[in-house]
Amino acid sequence: MPVFKTPFNGYSVRFSPFYESQLAVATAQNFGILGNGRVHILQVNPNGPISELAAFDTADGIYDVCWSEAHDSLVIAASGDGSVKLYDLSLPPTNNPIRSFKEHTREVHSVDYNMVRKDSFLSASWDDTVKLWTVDRNASVRTFKEHAYCVYSAAWNPRHADIFASASGDCTTRIWDVREPGSTMILPAHEFEILTCDWNKYDDCIIATASVDKSIKVWDVRNYRVPIAVLNGHGYAVRKVRFSPHRASAMVSCSYDMTVCMWDYMVEDALIGRYDHHTEFAVGVDMSVLVEGLLASTGWDELVYVWQHGMDPRAA
Amino acid sequence: MAMRDLVTGAPSCGEPSSSSNPLGALANALIGSSSKTQERLKEIPTSVSTSSNGNFLAGVEEPLATLPGSEFEHPLQPNIQGSQFLQGFRSADQNRLADAWDEIQRPQLPFAHGSQNMTNIPLEHARLQPDLNGPPQQVLSSFLHSFVNSSHGGVPFRPASLPLLGLSEGDKQCIRDRSSIMARHFFADKSEDFINGQVNALLSSLEIDSHARARGPVPGRYPELEEYWNESLAMKPALHVADGWINEFSQNRVGHADPNSWVQSFEQQHGANGWASEFEHEQSQLGMIGQMRGANIPNLAAMEQTRMLAHTLAQNSDPKFQLSRGPQGWVNEFSAEREQHGSVNNDWVNEFSKLNVNDDWADEFGRQVAEGAFGETSADGWAEAYDEYMNEQAALRQQSDASRGVYVFSDLNPYVGHPNPLKEGQELFRKGLLSEAVLALEAEVLKNPENAEGWRLLGIAHAENDDDQQAIAAMMRAQEADPANLEVLLSLGVSHTNELEQQAALKYLYSWLRHHPKYGSIAPQDQPVSFYHADVARLFTDASQMAPDDADVHIVLGVLYNLSREYDKAIESFKTALKLKPRDYSLWNKLGATQANSVQSADAILAYQQALDIKPNYVRAWANMGISYANQGMYEDSIRYYVRALAMNPKADNAWQYLRISLSCASRNDMLEACDARNLDVLQKEFPL
Repeated sequence: MPVFKTPFNGYSVRFSPFYESQLAVATAQNFGILGNGRVHILQVNPNGPISELAAFDTADGIYDVCWSEAHDSLVIAASGDGSVKLYDLSLPPTNNPIRSFKEHTREVHSVDYNMVRKDSFLSASWDDTVKLWTVDRNASVRTFKEHAYCVYSAAWNPRHADIFASASGDCTTRIWDVREPGSTMILPAHEFEILTCDWNKYDDCIIATASVDKSIKVWDVRNYRVPIAVLNGHGYAVRKVRFSPHRASAMVSCSYDMTVCMWDYMVEDALIGRYDHHTEFAVGVDMSVLVEGLLASTGWDELVYVWQHGMDPRAA
Repeated sequence: MAMRDLVTGAPSCGEPSSSSNPLGALANALIGSSSKTQERLKEIPTSVSTSSNGNFLAGVEEPLATLPGSEFEHPLQPNIQGSQFLQGFRSADQNRLADAWDEIQRPQLPFAHGSQNMTNIPLEHARLQPDLNGPPQQVLSSFLHSFVNSSHGGVPFRPASLPLLGLSEGDKQCIRDRSSIMARHFFADKSEDFINGQVNALLSSLEIDSHARARGPVPGRYPELEEYWNESLAMKPALHVADGWINEFSQNRVGHADPNSWVQSFEQQHGANGWASEFEHEQSQLGMIGQMRGANIPNLAAMEQTRMLAHTLAQNSDPKFQLSRGPQGWVNEFSAEREQHGSVNNDWVNEFSKLNVNDDWADEFGRQVAEGAFGETSADGWAEAYDEYMNEQAALRQQSDASRGVYVFSDLNPYVGHPNPLKEGQELFRKGLLSEAVLALEAEVLKNPENAEGWRLLGIAHAENDDDQQAIAAMMRAQEADPANLEVLLSLGVSHTNELEQQAALKYLYSWLRHHPKYGSIAPQDQPVSFYHADVARLFTDASQMAPDDADVHIVLGVLYNLSREYDKAIESFKTALKLKPRDYSLWNKLGATQANSVQSADAILAYQQALDIKPNYVRAWANMGISYANQGMYEDSIRYYVRALAMNPKADNAWQYLRISLSCASRNDMLEACDARNLDVLQKEFPL
């Protein structure tokens, strides 16, 4: 299984929705505390090593990256200096980034592209706000300011074009409707900071949140008092969680305990896979939409792994 | 717990011997045999000779009693390069980075760099050794790397002295903010204190001001409360409060209630006083949440607050409040008013005592009324409140005796396990990082409970940090460990006079004399049953005649005369002592305080100025200056001095109190909000010196 070594510490990986072999990786120097950043666009060759298609250097660390759902060559990067950068792979590196949206006053921790209407994207920042943007406008369309602490993650609902969820260090997850002025629901999901959230790709009312308290909770927004499932098993804070695009109740998570775990919350023993290939915090994980079972992960050990679920990521 | 266990304990840490676990590899390399570690310990010089390197007072091989009183510390070199450091990064020279990376990956064995200068302390412990050599980028990389790694093994991260890295302000802010946010993720199951300790360790090593932290812990854990906040503007005491006084205390803090405004002002302040909001926040948290991360937190924070409040009271010159150990809301408010009127300086109060309450308060009260020093507080209210207080005092005195002398250790001390915490503590002390020094010294005395020097230094550190109770407790232990240690006896004597325990004070001062090699003969062999002030004073006067060049004797005499309120004699003694020890900053402070006590505030200011010339970051002297100005009615000036003191040590609660009073006296109510919010930025802009 191929491995790619990045010069900086990995922060996030995303498969391209257009090309099954393309992968974007966000990295930051010195664990994102201080230093530069780099966005890598990688090509996963079958039976071969991972090669780099493009790399973009930035002045500050990049914490997250996402692909546009409308253009196959557009990549959006979330930067530690508060800017959201837009890259066009079809243009040479000197012309990139084609846009740098600078509105957030603190680090931008996450970006997510709308997969239903495909026209807008969100950025979640440590300045407690989530901003809505479109590619063509220079300024944000809307700012959602309700959280009381850093917002770590924002995720669009895969079925409803206007709904998204945000996960924040104020221990709540909020569900928003962009047509409404404020949040439509506050989900006090954990008693510690919530680092990530993701929607179920098959059931539009199910959302998973994962927190510093090492657990992942799966909620039905219609009954938000009690979680559907609580998944324990990680030894440290859970950094990212992603529902599988192929199996309704499966999800993958990565944690500071250096493992990537696969879960199925409908099953009695929810943990269905565990990969401990990373030697430092595992901070980014993604499941490919185009290839069933294809996983990618990255961590602070500066390695990007791409492997098939069920196989050993480190196998040659 | 052996280092190896810590390292190999967590299965997720990977193979211990693999190169990808640098910690494990290092442990293997270092902990080959335990004897090796011990040898290293022996190499460490004893405390007496550590004070070399020419950083201490010129010429004199004074024992570490002078540790608190070194010459003034040079401020950090201003960062002329600006972001030259980052330019190194931004050149995005991949090769260099790859090289740097390789170096980091190979674990560095601790190097014995020798202490050629104080800023380059060899890290002689088994930990992933950050490479302190090499270009700044590399140093920073490896340093941050070890910080992150510290989360794996559960071994606390220790501060290290790094060479100047040329970090710009923006860089520092980045590091500060991000590392504290990230630290909360790694160390989630540890206490708030531990996290702060870790981050402080990182920041202090990088010489980043840790006071101004941008994001504190999270507000509002409970949704019910969040809704509640959203509805109401003011936090009512109806919230389930852990302790009644905390409630009252937090009530006194204006603008604390509305979380939204809190967050906004917090955001605005961004770089300043994050910790202060953190503190306020802790108070509110306590009120609201029964159990946070663990039983530790509420207790610790409550204890902390109790202590701080008690100290605020203790700092109050007014003798009535010296004894009070129970924090009471009204006393706080009350003392706040009282302090303004004839309040004397803190350091003095710490090292000195006050008058005998029962007899003299009436005199003093009369005197101050005559001086027209009273402000809004009506004399009646004050007198009534005082009666109440006296009743409480009697009850409290019993309690306080019982609780005296029991040292309370901090939880989750990151220095436990350090091979030489004493040296570390001395270093930190010298640098002025008092809270850190306390932790290091605690680690030392946990390791060696018989180490008198460790206890003694701990006592001094607490005293400088305004923690009287702990100071005494530590000094008592020091005395147990070494009954003949003169410095300890002297400190105990001073502390007890502070506590109005004349008998105990005299006893210790007498012991000082007895144990002194030179004056032992003066004191009669059989220890008298009870001590009379006059007798002891006479003994010391004899001693001073015997050896007119011994500053210490004069100092004690000064203390004694303050006890008996013979201020002129006290001033004379201190002046004599100062002729012998002109560079002792705390001595100048004492002189100033005595002068202030005897209503010679103008002279007092001159004395404080001398102290500050010697040690410019002597927070106490700044605050005392403020007090003296306030006593003379020069409120605008006093405000500036308080602000300066607070800028150096935003944790000086009593100084905040004084500031508040001066602000109202100067009719600067517009700044009261900033004061309550502990917004130093605004205050500094408004009241520069």
